[in-house]
Amino acid sequence: MNDLNFFQFVASRSDELIGLTVQHVQITGLAVLLAILLGVPVGILISKNKKVRSPILGIANVFQTIPSLALFGLIIPLLGTGYVPSVFVLFLYALLPIIKNTFIGINSVDEAIIDAGRGMGMTSKQILTKVEIPLALPVIMGGIRISTVINIGTATIAALIGAGGLGEMIFKGISMASNNMVLAGAVPTALLAISVDKLLGMFETKLTPEGITSQKDNQV
Amino acid sequence: MIELVNITKSYDGKTNVIENLNLHIDKGEIVVLIGESGCGKTTTLRMMNRLNDPTSGTIMIKGEDYTKISKIELRRQLGYVIQKVGLMPHLTVGKNIEMIPELKGWDKKKRKDRAYELLELVDLPPEDYYDRYPHELSGGQQQRIGVARALAVNPDIILMDEPFSALDPITREQLQKELLKLQDELGKTIVFVTHDMDEALKIGDRIAVMKDGKILQYDTPEEILKNPANEFVEYFVGKDRLWKSPEMLNANDIMHKSLVTVGQKRSPAQVIEVMKKKDMELLFIVEKETSKPQPPIGYITRKNLKEQEDHKVKMSEICNKDFISVHQNANMVDVLKIMEENEIRYLPVLDDDKNLIGMITTASILNIITKAVAVKEEENK
Ligand SMILES: Nc1ncnc2c1ncn2[C@@H]1O[C@H](COP(=O)(O)OP(=O)(O)OP(=O)(O)O)[C@@H](O)[C@H]1O
Ligand SMILES: [Mg+2]
Repeated sequence: MNDLNFFQFVASRSDELIGLTVQHVQITGLAVLLAILLGVPVGILISKNKKVRSPILGIANVFQTIPSLALFGLIIPLLGTGYVPSVFVLFLYALLPIIKNTFIGINSVDEAIIDAGRGMGMTSKQILTKVEIPLALPVIMGGIRISTVINIGTATIAALIGAGGLGEMIFKGISMASNNMVLAGAVPTALLAISVDKLLGMFETKLTPEGITSQKDNQV
Repeated sequence: MIELVNITKSYDGKTNVIENLNLHIDKGEIVVLIGESGCGKTTTLRMMNRLNDPTSGTIMIKGEDYTKISKIELRRQLGYVIQKVGLMPHLTVGKNIEMIPELKGWDKKKRKDRAYELLELVDLPPEDYYDRYPHELSGGQQQRIGVARALAVNPDIILMDEPFSALDPITREQLQKELLKLQDELGKTIVFVTHDMDEALKIGDRIAVMKDGKILQYDTPEEILKNPANEFVEYFVGKDRLWKSPEMLNANDIMHKSLVTVGQKRSPAQVIEVMKKKDMELLFIVEKETSKPQPPIGYITRKNLKEQEDHKVKMSEICNKDFISVHQNANMVDVLKIMEENEIRYLPVLDDDKNLIGMITTASILNIITKAVAVKEEENK
């Protein structure tokens, strides 16, 4: 098998690779989706409530700083191996950028605009849904984009605890000392990350309200 | 219509930004709040729609304690033009104006008709502006949208925080007229904050001059002009108005106040010394050199002194006692006429008791002109 060049190798394993890629997308997709569902509301919460702001950002920061390999290792005694713990760890990683960007996005809406809204008689909820969220959307999208891209890379490590995905090909390749196999896992991962980044970037532009042009590059 | 009773406001719990303020505003009148930056105009305005709550005191709107109705309801009854404009950048001009009508459930046609009507009112052709975004407008145009937005649901009371400050004089005047018309036709009650005394005098039925969180005087424009309650009001009214009408400037405004005089017992050598030091050609002689104003005895020029041979002679003996002076209230036009007709470059200014209190020179007039130009330039910015 080592005699095949990379492209021939990929061609010979295309079915398996497609399967792994789909799996990869599923894991990261689910993890990011969950992170959005929790992270955006939490980001909004901490933009409104100063008391809980630093504890929550602190906790989210801690998860971000634990090396991913260690976190995957630590999760095994708690949740075992396989799909669920992998998604859970990836979810934890995705959380911080989403929380942080939501917070920053909402927090950086010009006070005068909110003031005008309040002064006209908009309720807090109306201000949130009609003013703050639309204006923060590009920044929130930026956070989601970062989370997703990081997660696509990190998800390869999840293969170690049996999550599947393109990481499986990489680790198999390492143990068999097959460069082709490592590359066959790594290259699609990179391509996936790049194309998802582009895609989300386009989505971000589309979500940016027409009236604002300057907020697009505000991601953190 | 609006009644503020014993209002005190503190943001930090220590210093009172507003102190024991009382203000009664009748239905259909335009009340102007005016005062220097930081005196509490915005704070006062924002307490009327409960964007700020007073620390103590009560506010009545339409005869009722305004805490009895919900903040949201209250604010929708009061139009509000905020100082920083605050248009929603993600919404078109039309959608900005229609925000509250939409939240109130007006149908689409009614909203749009209203927005068109208001755009006409603030002189921005609706066909051109309805679909634009705020960032595509100049500061002045944005301000006008801010005004239009505040009028959207036709509130009886409108609070306006320096709504015309970013407009050029012509547009500003036009909108001032529109505002007066609006109030005339629709009987709106308007609370209007400004820095500009001209604007206040033009549109105010009553003017509240504020300083350090207090109202110093609350009166009609005439009363404020003719009978300012205290020095600050006088200064505040005068300072701004002065430059705009030269006939309002008097000798007192244009004279040098730091006066150099010499006592009558001085010798020629001493006086020459003073002249050299102060770079003056002419000095007025008084009885004693004190800071207290006293009547001038006469004047002496450098030329007089140089021609003088007797070195022991006193100023009182050689000074020119025949001189022209003006009263401090003489207006600038007269002052200039006197100086021109008599070909003099130094004109002493006297108070009611004929004491010398200042000196008008060509330099001091030049000074005034420079200041007036500077004020004008600042305005034009
Ligand atoms: N939100 C706030 N928190 C703390 N202090 C405030 C706040 N808003 C205003 N102040 C202070 O209250 C005082 C009055 O401010 P205010 O904005 O009412 O002045 P103003 O008369 O409207 O001034 P300007 O002409 O500059 O708009 C100022 O000293 C200001 O620093
Ligand atoms: Mg103000």
